[in-house]
Amino acid sequence: MEINLAHLGAGLAIGLGAIGPGVSVGIIAGKALEGMARQPEASATLRTTMIIGIVFAEAIALYSFVVSILLFSK
Amino acid sequence: MAAEQVAGAEQSSEAGAVMSHILEEFSLSNEYAFKFFGIPLPHGPSMHLFGLDFSINKAVVVVWLATFITIGLVWYTGRGGGLVARGRLRNFIEAMVQFVKVDIVEANIGTHEGKKWLPFIGALFFLILFSNLLGLIPGSNSPTSNINMTATLAIIVFLTFVGAGMVKQGPFAYMKNLAPHGMPGWLYVILYPLEIFSQLAKPLSLALRLFANLLAGHILILSLLALIIMSGSIIVAPIPFAFSIIMYAFEIFVAFIQAYIFAVLSAIYIGAAIHPEH
Repeated sequence: MEINLAHLGAGLAIGLGAIGPGVSVGIIAGKALEGMARQPEASATLRTTMIIGIVFAEAIALYSFVVSILLFSK
Repeated sequence: MAAEQVAGAEQSSEAGAVMSHILEEFSLSNEYAFKFFGIPLPHGPSMHLFGLDFSINKAVVVVWLATFITIGLVWYTGRGGGLVARGRLRNFIEAMVQFVKVDIVEANIGTHEGKKWLPFIGALFFLILFSNLLGLIPGSNSPTSNINMTATLAIIVFLTFVGAGMVKQGPFAYMKNLAPHGMPGWLYVILYPLEIFSQLAKPLSLALRLFANLLAGHILILSLLALIIMSGSIIVAPIPFAFSIIMYAFEIFVAFIQAYIFAVLSAIYIGAAIHPEH
């Protein structure tokens, strides 16, 4: 059984790299929801800030996705 | 047994062909953009200038189309004149330009200087938006799913905000204002390289975020549909198909969000360069 270490690295890269952003997106959305529940008048501001925060967190996941694709194509 | 092994090998070679077709989109060359649904398009005259490939392929044509839509829509909307907008198209375009002006430019650059920067940020927003959306048409690809285009846009934004900061404050004052004042002297030795590195990381993250988001969307939809081919049977076809339709709707949402995020971050960087907070 031969192990292609590049492919293994590709799987590990995206697998481990998506843990952090996944947790952080959940925390961001949860905090935004709490804020909207406390003060529904600020919903628009909270929603905009939440979208910006989620995009920053997703960017980290996509960096690891790029590394994974680079390793997979070796 | 032998027949199953042969069939398995045939399936795995098909899977390999499908995966190499998907991965072709990720390579830095533009060879994938010469195919329309797998049919090779005519190459045209090979235009190489200084070792770079300037030949006209599908991505180039889609960028031209996005540019014409951007310029044409906004020019056509604004040529009538008159204070009150009439008609659905004009109201729609005016609503989007109003959104860019109030929520993106003036919230980050300020009302006084915002008027000068609205054309740049608005053009950036609409170009990226239409480039993203045109990639969702089957058979075409989005030019922003290519690292070359997003890196170009990010370098333009980088030169713009560094240039605007240097013009506004003077070159040395801009470099000095990167780090906060009032720190003990030895801290500046660590702080300045860190600040310069974070300035360089800004266009890198802009380019990589836009490129990776759109590329991930394309690869996801292609991989889901390739599952049908790789499984070899047609019975399982509805499940990946339904899921890929859901991901398709999500891709439209991502197209809008990524254009908005690029424009907002450009406005934030320009605002931070023009008005340095202490």
